[in-house]
Parts: sequence; structure tokens; C-alpha cells
Amino acid sequence: MEKVTGSNGDFAVTVRKKARYVDEDLCTGCGACAEKCPTTVPDEFNMGLGKRKAIYKYYTQGIPSTFCIDAVHCRTFQKGKKCGVCEKICQAKAIDYKQEDKILELKVGAIVLAVGYDLFDAAKLPEYGYGRITNVINALEFERLLSASGPTEGHVERLSDLRDHELIHSGEKKLKKATKTLGKYEKKHKKSSADFYKEFTAGNISDGDEFAKWAKQYESVQEATKKLEALKAKAEKFDVATRLAFIQCVGSRDFRFNKYCSSYCCMHSIKEAMIAKDHEARTDAYIFNMDLRTVGKGFEEYKVRGAEKTGLNYVRGRVAEITQDENENPIIWYEETTSQTPKSLTVDLAILAVACEAPKGIEKIAEMVGVELDHNRFFKTDPLNPLDTTVPGIFVCGCAQGPMDIPESVAQASSAASRAAEAVAGKA
Amino acid sequence: MSKDILVIGGGIAGMQASLDLADMGLQVHMVEKLPCIGGKMAQLDKTFPTNDCAM
Ligand SMILES: Cc1cc2nc3c(=O)[nH]c(=O)nc-3n(C[C@H](O)[C@H](O)[C@H](O)COP(=O)(O)OP(=O)(O)OC[C@H]3O[C@@H](n4cnc5c(N)ncnc54)[C@H](O)[C@@H]3O)c2cc1C
Ligand code: SF4
Ligand code: SF4
Repeated sequence: MEKVTGSNGDFAVTVRKKARYVDEDLCTGCGACAEKCPTTVPDEFNMGLGKRKAIYKYYTQGIPSTFCIDAVHCRTFQKGKKCGVCEKICQAKAIDYKQEDKILELKVGAIVLAVGYDLFDAAKLPEYGYGRITNVINALEFERLLSASGPTEGHVERLSDLRDHELIHSGEKKLKKATKTLGKYEKKHKKSSADFYKEFTAGNISDGDEFAKWAKQYESVQEATKKLEALKAKAEKFDVATRLAFIQCVGSRDFRFNKYCSSYCCMHSIKEAMIAKDHEARTDAYIFNMDLRTVGKGFEEYKVRGAEKTGLNYVRGRVAEITQDENENPIIWYEETTSQTPKSLTVDLAILAVACEAPKGIEKIAEMVGVELDHNRFFKTDPLNPLDTTVPGIFVCGCAQGPMDIPESVAQASSAASRAAEAVAGKA
Repeated sequence: MSKDILVIGGGIAGMQASLDLADMGLQVHMVEKLPCIGGKMAQLDKTFPTNDCAM
């Protein structure tokens, strides 16, 4: 959305329809293009824990099913590089590198703002080590680890193990290539690299640039093999992550950041712990909280079920700091308030329940449509008219109004729809 | 004067509002900044309080 003019019942809105560089009418969503695309980038949908191609679909079940090209990474759009692979592959002839953004002019009677929320950036809280300690992650990243369609197919793995697996994978590839080069020398000189190296270091072979290169190549292969073996030995020791610590109120109920309670995170941590335990029965889960706020229909029972049936441990106390041990395992430092003792607990993964914040860019939208924001940057509403913004004909629902869970978002959405329908009733 | 409605955001809230409006027979325009609709909910594995799949 670029521009809004007019008032209740008669708004003129300018919308920029971004180019996908793939024709929506022609694309069948087959995915052949992405399979062959040579450009790999971190996948936003999986919180950067997985990879996608430069031509991609945001997520497998996503709607619309049309693929799109990420022009920032696509080689064809980047100067100096030739590619065009997807255009050649696509049988539907759907690829159109020349497609342009379209400007649409809409006339509408009412507007519903449902722009949702963003997650609090936990790196703002240095004592928890997010971004510095590999095995400290946020709750949405953990959702992707739990998901069967996620980067680990639902196995809860430590991020450091994922990183090591990736290193092993790329290390093996590189080693294979380097060994191939050694093979060429061996074939040419009819000698094994090990034998050659012995002679070379004994000073029996001295002349020739090529021999120096061969020796260097042999040394680097030896070194890479050693490194790879060490990594593999380390990786072998680790299994799935079974000791989990959930840290509540990260960026919420904190006077340095957001004073409010984000309302849904106690419930999502209980949920995530339950699912982790369901995936792996050995899981030991601890939920560190000031109090567990489970307000909603059936929510309190859910919490009790989590403790009694699933065996989750609820620990009362705010976590002071997270450090890590020599195996990159997070150590949770906290005061157990029930016994008033400072304690620590070593886990495999620490999962931060980060606050729900008004989305980036909300100020721009507010300015464009002329509505006010409240002191927490969400759209301002009145307690008795929770869906009405400060401008008639413009309504709000979901987390753009304030933190709330899905049942509440859906209820608000239906109500906002009714309010919007009311606003245009009898018009035109 | 127009009877059309503009919904900005295609998360669960925007989708529900759009579906309801369309069911009332109104023309809805939905604007989403990402390539697909679904919002954060699409990224969730399962949802409380039923632990049903988020898709
Ligand atoms: C880790 C985690 C787990 C959760 N688990 C649960 C659960 O189990 N059960 C539950 O009930 N709730 C859960 N929640 C809460 C749930 O995610 C929210 O209640 C719900 O997603 C809110 O929906 P929404 O449509 O308001 O916002 P969003 O899902 O954020 O959707 C907003 C949409 O608007 C788009 N948008 C933003 N700005 C613009 C713009 N300028 N122009 C166009 N489009 C824009 C966004 O791209 C997005 O698609 C969880 C939250 C988290 C963080
Ligand atoms: S652009 Fe072509 S190759 Fe890619 S998914 Fe669509 S139809 Fe298939
Ligand atoms: S819902 Fe729970 S974790 Fe989230 S801010 Fe409120 S008390 Fe803290």
C-alpha cells in the first residue's frame, strides 16, 4: 500500500503489486525451476535455519502456489552474471524477467488493518546470549525445529549440531574435490601422494613448481581430513536435544523494553514442551516463569495437563543470565524463588519466549491512513470499541491491535468484518 | 462511494476477516507484503489449546 486518500465510505487507495517475475496464470507450481536454480539462500520461513533457492515458494503449502524470483539474490538480476536456468527449465513458459511492479488504484468503502506483529529481538538482552550463544534460540525458531516440514523434519537438534553437520557436509565435498586433484598428480607421476611427500620432504625432489604445488595440496588434504575426523567424532557424541529450558517474558513485562504481557507465550511454551516430549519421550523440559499466565477457555486445564500428564517442570523465577559450557550447552542461572536459592541448570537448548511487538513499518501505515497508535505502537482503540481505530471506516483486528492468540484474533477478525460491512451498508 | 473493502495483511486475522466479508457478498481486496498468505500461524507446528496442526 502506497497512498490512501478520502474518508469513510469513500477511500482511494494506491497499491503496488510487486513483480514476481513469474506469470501467475501460467505457473503450475511444479517446482522444476527451484530444483535447478543454482542460487541458494537462507530460508526466511524457516527462520534462516534452512535453505531455499532464488526462485522459490515461500512455503510448501503456501497460497498462491505461484513461484517468485527473489531479485536481490537471483543471478540474472545481479549484474555481470549469466544464468537464465529457470527460464530454460520452465515448460509452462511462466518466467518473465521483465515483469514490472503494477500500480493498482482501488476504491473502497472501508479498510481493515490486520498487519499482525513482529517478534522482539532477543539480542537486545545481552545477558541471555541470543546471537552469541549458538544454542540459545527463540520460540518461533523452535516451532520450525518441531515441524515435520521444517529444516530438521521435526527432530529437535541443537543448532551447534546442525552447524557441525553442515560443516561436515561441505568439508566432505571440498575434500573429495581436493583428493581428485591429488589423483591427477598421482596418475601423471605414477606415484602415491604419500610416497611422493616422503621423498619431497626428505629433499630428494626439489626442482619444479608442480612438485611444490603437489606437496602443498597433499598437506592441505591431510589437514582437512584431520579436521573432518575431529568434527565427526564430536558430532557422534550428540543425539537429539533432550534437555530443554524455556525462558518466559523475554522483552515482555520488562521495564527496559515492553511493560505489557504478551499474553500468548506462556501457552506456546507449554505447547512446545509438550510436542517436544511427544517427539522424544526422554525430553526433560523446564519452563522458567514469574507466573504462568494461562487465561482462556481450557487453558488452565492445559497447563495442569502439561505438568501432571506430560511431566513438564514449571520453575518459578526470572532467569538472570545464560552462559555456555565447553560443549556449547547453555547454562541457565536463576533464583529459585520458592526456596530463595540461586541455582544453575545445564541444558541442550534454551528457548526464549520473545515478546509480541507491533510490526516494523506500522508507523508508516498509521501515517498513510491517518490513524493514531497507542503508547505501545499498536493501533489505538477504545476499550468499548476495540475494533475501531481513531478514523471512522478503518478497523483493526488481530495482533496489530495488541498481543493476542489465534482464537482471539479470529474472533476479532469476524467482528471487524461485521463492522466494516456495517460501514458500507446501504452505500453505492 | 464504494462497497468494496480493503484488508491489509494476510495472516489468520486478515484471512478470517476477508472470508467473512466475502461470505457477506462483498468484494474484498487483500494486500499481503510476503509472497504467500498465512502470516505467523503458517510457521507454527501445532497450535494450543488443541495441539492441532496449524495448517
Ligand atoms: C512461537 C509462537 C507460537 C505461537 N503459538 C500459538 C498457538 O499455539 N496458538 C495460538 O492461538 N497462538 C499462538 N501464537 C500467536 C499467534 O501467532 C498469533 O495470535 C497470530 O499469528 C496473530 O495473527 P495476525 O493475523 O494478527 O498476525 P500475523 O500472523 O503476524 O499476520 C500479519 C500478516 O500481515 C502481513 N503484513 C504486515 N505488514 C504488512 C504491510 N505493511 N502490508 C501488507 N501486509 C503486511 C504480514 O506479512 C503477515 O502475513 C504463537 C506465537 C508465537 C510467536
Ligand atoms: S515457474 Fe515454471 S518451472 Fe517454476 S514452478 Fe512455475 S511452472 Fe514450474
Ligand atoms: S504470556 Fe507469560 S511469558 Fe508471555 S509475557 Fe505474559 S507472563 Fe510473560
